[in-house]
Amino acid sequence: MDFEVLIENTLNALAAGITIGCIYGLMCIGLGLIFGIMRIVNFAQGELLMLGMYASLYLVTGAGVFAFLGPYVGPFVGALCAGPIVFVGGAVLHRFLIARVSGLRTAGSVDDGHFGQLLVTLGISLILQNGGLIVFGSTPETVRTPLASRAFTVDGFYGDATVFLNKARLIACAVAIIIAIALYLVLEYTRLGKSLRAAADNPTAATYMGIDVDRAYRIAFALGCGITAIAGGLMATYLSFGPFIGLDYVIIMYSGVVLGGMGSILGAFWGGLTVGFVQQCSALVLPPQLQNAAIFVVFLLIVMLRPQGLFGRSAERA
Amino acid sequence: MLEVRNLSVAYGGLRALTDLSLSVAEGQFVTVLGPNGAGKSTLFKTICGIVAPVQGSVSFLGQDLLAISASARAHLGIAHVPEGRQVFKTLTVRENLEMGAYTKAGRAQWLHTLERIHTLFPILAERASQLAGTLSGGEQQMLAIGRGLASAPKLLMLDEPSMGLAPAVADTIFERISQIHREDRVTILLVEQRVAEALELSDHGYVLETGHMVLDGTHQTLLADDRVRRSYLGLTDA
Repeated sequence: MDFEVLIENTLNALAAGITIGCIYGLMCIGLGLIFGIMRIVNFAQGELLMLGMYASLYLVTGAGVFAFLGPYVGPFVGALCAGPIVFVGGAVLHRFLIARVSGLRTAGSVDDGHFGQLLVTLGISLILQNGGLIVFGSTPETVRTPLASRAFTVDGFYGDATVFLNKARLIACAVAIIIAIALYLVLEYTRLGKSLRAAADNPTAATYMGIDVDRAYRIAFALGCGITAIAGGLMATYLSFGPFIGLDYVIIMYSGVVLGGMGSILGAFWGGLTVGFVQQCSALVLPPQLQNAAIFVVFLLIVMLRPQGLFGRSAERA
Repeated sequence: MLEVRNLSVAYGGLRALTDLSLSVAEGQFVTVLGPNGAGKSTLFKTICGIVAPVQGSVSFLGQDLLAISASARAHLGIAHVPEGRQVFKTLTVRENLEMGAYTKAGRAQWLHTLERIHTLFPILAERASQLAGTLSGGEQQMLAIGRGLASAPKLLMLDEPSMGLAPAVADTIFERISQIHREDRVTILLVEQRVAEALELSDHGYVLETGHMVLDGTHQTLLADDRVRRSYLGLTDA
């Protein structure tokens, strides 16, 4: 029956939208930390996602995490380990390049250092893309797990309609949610998290409080890099990727962060979730080439109705 | 306690402070007076390490401040309540105070100082979970002072705490600063434009003009000085 097929397709799109959306949410949190909270424009965020994917790939296949933990647990442990690796890379990047165009050094300047950040990170992005091409090659890769081709089936909604939940995506989604919550708790309730927010809010005043602002920026930047890399590692379990995959996702990340509302970690997550959800559901009515167009139609609509984003709140007295 | 000697500061060739010396003894209330652009805020920023001097020395409790980073200076017991309040607007009132207590001394006495801050400024207890950016100017100033106190400082530096406030609110602020000095025995270094009130509270005053220290003395000396009476108090000799 046609109606049954329609129901089945819709339910499947909804399920895929939510699972993929949660992973996008985690990816957006990484940028949300760097761009939304610390206000550093980072065009290399997509390449950090790519590095997370390759870090996970080499850990799983090269370093033998796969052999050690098996094809089920291995890829997810690999994804988690990609986080600390890219975290260190991000800290080094900040120490030598980003620190020169952000934080105390540009506090109070006309553009808050955004022009410098734009140029530096765009340069880093190009170097990482082409460097990736040299080092990793152009062959599409994927972190293979048998879970990617298995699904939980849920039925009983309507007639014979069956919802397929891809196991790899479902586990990736669960891991993404756990990490997102953990990061939220750290930022909201720990002394470290509060000092990062204070340093971002007012670097000069934070210095008066005894907060080492340069270090705070470094931690936040590296943390943002690591979080996006973990999301990359998770995506690598169900997606084939190459050195240029960052290009596809950097725009999605920015729209997610702006959609959710600048400065809010929860917002970045919901923004990412919305983007993933819209992308998957648009597949029901639109050809795949137009999926990203659908994202931006929804993006424009939301920003038109709520310019401060879904979770943005104004801290200024009216 | 705080010793500033022969300090000169320049912003890209433009002299802001010239050969300035100042000292604050433990337990004192010292005021720096001067018109706009005299270099009062520059002096504070140099003490706190946001601006580097061309020459001169700054020491606190015998330690050379110029040798250590800006953020490390707060940990020695210097709290700065900056001009224009500079509260963390996107953090709650409570979180602002917690950030004030970022130093070791502040954390060790946190519960005690929080209670004290709430006694001095009850409004901060009422507004604890509100974002600091949504407070009124007077409330933000109270928060800025509370945040300074939260570090359990030895020296509290206040840069024009009455700026932009209604006279009645400014009076309250002065009253609280005086209370902090008398009851908590915190050494105070104050920059003010409201000369009469500031001098009344202080043991010692300095007058800055275009980067030069033109006058200093006890408040009686300054209040009796013709220039101070004419330029700052608007009094003419009877």
